[in-house]
This record gives sequence, C-alpha cells and structure tokens, in this order.
Amino acid sequence: MLPAVAVYYFPWEVNSGALQDGESVRTFGSKTNFAHFSRLTQYEPEKSRASLTTQHASKEHHVVINTSFVEPFNPIIGAQYIVLGEIETAQGVDGVRVCARVLNCVDGVNIALLQKVINEQRSFFRERRPDLWSLLQRSRACL
Amino acid sequence: MDPAEELPSMLWGLDPIFSAFARLHVTDILHMRESCQVPDIYFYKSHPIHKVDVLGTVVYKREREDFFCYGDDGTGVINCLCWKNDPMKEELDSDGGKPSDDLQHSFNLAVEVKKLKQAQQTHFRLEIGELLRVRGQVKTSRQQREMMASTYYKVNDPVMAVQIEWMSDVLQLYREFYDKPLHLQNISASESPITSLSKATQIIKDFLEQKAVSKFRPYDIQDILQPLFPSCPEVAPAGQEPVAGSSTCQQLHVLLKEALQLLQDEGVVYRKVKSQDEVYFVTAQDKDLLMAVKDIIREDSKREKYQEKGCHILHILSSVRQRHSMNVSKAVLELVLKSLECNSDIISTRDNYFTYFII
Repeated sequence: MLPAVAVYYFPWEVNSGALQDGESVRTFGSKTNFAHFSRLTQYEPEKSRASLTTQHASKEHHVVINTSFVEPFNPIIGAQYIVLGEIETAQGVDGVRVCARVLNCVDGVNIALLQKVINEQRSFFRERRPDLWSLLQRSRACL
Repeated sequence: MDPAEELPSMLWGLDPIFSAFARLHVTDILHMRESCQVPDIYFYKSHPIHKVDVLGTVVYKREREDFFCYGDDGTGVINCLCWKNDPMKEELDSDGGKPSDDLQHSFNLAVEVKKLKQAQQTHFRLEIGELLRVRGQVKTSRQQREMMASTYYKVNDPVMAVQIEWMSDVLQLYREFYDKPLHLQNISASESPITSLSKATQIIKDFLEQKAVSKFRPYDIQDILQPLFPSCPEVAPAGQEPVAGSSTCQQLHVLLKEALQLLQDEGVVYRKVKSQDEVYFVTAQDKDLLMAVKDIIREDSKREKYQEKGCHILHILSSVRQRHSMNVSKAVLELVLKSLECNSDIISTRDNYFTYFII
C-alpha cells in the first residue's frame, strides 16, 4: 500500500490544529540561529526528538519532530530543514508532533520563493480543480 | 468527459502533447480517465496522454530485480517501476575500490572503468528522501496507476531550487497547454474558399496544358471541377440554367468564375473579344498573338528610335492592343514575351526592354 501524499504545509499551519492526526505532511523550518530566525532549539537523540522553528508574522512557530525513522542523521543546528512525515498526537505533549520519514537539509533555500510557489499552486488547485483541492485537503489518498 | 466526446484515435498524433512526456501533477496522473478506445492511453481534459515526466521525493522503496519506488511530488504519490540496468546488477569488487599508490599518476583503464561503474551505481541507487526525476509510460496494473520508467535519475537539489522551479514551470504548462482544449483544424468537407480556389485554378491550368487547349468556353471545362464537389449532380448541357436549389452546383459555378478571373489576372488566359459569348484564349497556345508580338518587335527594332535601347513593354502592349485585341493585358504580354525569349526570338536589352534577335 502506498503511503499517503505529503502536501506542503507551512509550519504555522501545522500547529494551528488545521490538520488531523495521521495525515501526511511536509513542512520546513530552521533549527536555530539562522540569519533571519533566531531561536535556540534542540536535538535530543536519546528521545529522537528535534524541534524546528520559524518566524512568521512576528510570532515564532515550533514544530516538534520525531526522528526515529531518519536516524542516524547529522544535525546541523541553525540550518534549514525540510521534513516529510505524518502527524501524530503525542501522549502527554501539547500540540502535534510530526513523525518524520524524510528529513533533508536544504540550507540556502529561498524561503520566500518557496512560499510563493506553494501559494500559487494552492490557488491554482482552488480555482481550477476544486474537486482535487478538497481531495488534497483531506489528504487521505489510499491507493 | 463523455466517452462519446473522446477524440478519435486517428487524430491523437495531431496533439503535440501526446508525443511529449507531459509534466502533470501526480494527482492528475492518478485521476486521469482511461481511454475507451485503446488501453493504456489516458485523457487529461481533452488531451490524450501516454507518457509523463515527474519530479518527486522517494518515500518508499522496494528493491528486487526491478526496483520499485514511490515518488511524491506534493500533490500525489505514484508507484514508479524503475528497471535496473545490467551494469547495476553486477556486484562491485571490494578490491577495486582504491587505486594503489604506484598507479596513482598513470591512467589505468580498468580502474577508471570501475570508477565509472561506481559513479553510475551511486547515480542510480536511490534512497528514501532523495529527489528523483522519472520519465515513462503510464500504466494501470491491479487497479493501481503506476509509471513504467524509461529514464530515471537522482537529482541533486541541495537548496530545493530544482523543485521550486519545477513546481512553477508545471503550473505555467497547465495554464498554457494542458488546460487549454485541443484545437484541431476542421478537416471536414467544408473547405475554406481560398484553398478550393487555388485547387480549382491548378486543375484548370493542368487541364489546359495537357490537352493543349487554345480556346474554350466556361462550360467546356466545368466538368473538370466536379471532383471538388462530390455531392453535385451532373450539370445540364450548355445554355441551360442549373437546377434551382442545388447549392453545390451554384458553388461550382461561382468557383469556376473566380478561378477564371484569377487566371485572367495571371495572364494565363484572356478574352480576345468581350461579348456575350465567353470565349477564352489560352495565352501559351495562341499562335496568332505570338506572331503578332514577334512582328511588332521585329519591325520596331529596325526603326532608329528603338535600335539601341529596344522596345519598352508598354509600347509593345499598345501596339498589340491596336493590332490584335484591346483586351490583352500586361500579364498576358509578359507571358508571351517570356516564351519568345526562351525561344531566342527576342532578347531583353534592359529591364522591360526587348529587341529582335538577329542571328
């Protein structure tokens, strides 16, 4: 059985509760001390937990990642990463965690451009393919 | 789209997208409707598709003889069957990893070939999380849509530039090509008047040349235009009006008239005498006209006035009109002069000037 599609989501959307448990998601963020973002976050190898941070609309957004599937990986604190994974509600932790299947370092990515393209793609689907847009929104394609 | 509205398979080759590896979103590839005419051809809107080009992240890998993997481009996940090449199936020698110190500076072919094979292997070895570009045919197997890769390779994209570019390119392609309906030229019986006119004139020209016709009336050649109007019944003999209400016959007459007018303008035919009786003379076959022009040039070339320079075409034209026919046009005369020149009866001294050629 195929894994479900990982739709692009922005970090602030991940935590806002717009997504449901079990959905596949891909999102990005910086670990810390990147030129435009500054927030110390952690990588806890013993707990297989990493934290991605990004700044949007003068608010900081964290996304907690479960890195058990992508270990061992070489963490570069401060670099931009893109994560592909499933949302899971962790017990005893507020908010959602992303269980990462893919965690790639994309340091140097043009975030503004990426955001622009994602928004363009979304508006394209909204306008032209409303049927598929709702399908992607639910994102439970079981093939 | 209705199966009845599907483009007939004969015309699929006319759609340029059919021959290209279409860069569709994976979700569209998965939801494309299969054609009811030919299996393994799919339709995206009105376009027939059978090969696609996808850029996506490997999210699942199953390696066997053939090597499947699943690629996700953000809109959907599709199974890609990537067949391994023969070189990939060979196992690498563990000894051949490093060249020995002695050979470091010399070019050892065996070592270089091993390095090449290693490079090829790394290029084709895919791991989860890597970006993959796949081109291949779309197939449906066990109710699942998948891609049979004809070409695939790992894409090195450290700053996601390739993916971003791909995403925006694909959106553009959708807007400009894939979402636009296919416009085929109407190849039905109703041809545009322009093409049928040129066909008619060509048919008449060929006929006049083949049969060496020197003069004719319109109804003589009416019949040769019949093939252009398959639905038109036999036309009544000369003088009678065509059957009322049969519009194709009227079209034929109109076409004939236009064609003859065009031929007159070109100079191929002319009407010596403009009267009720429409008699057309074919320039190429008109011996009288030829002789008349030749005589004019010969006589005038002897005169002092024209001895050096020769006769100007307009002078010849006015003389011909006086002697032969008022309705000879410049185009007709030009054709006659050309044929005289080809026969070496006259020569052209300058542009538009001609004189008699005395051997």
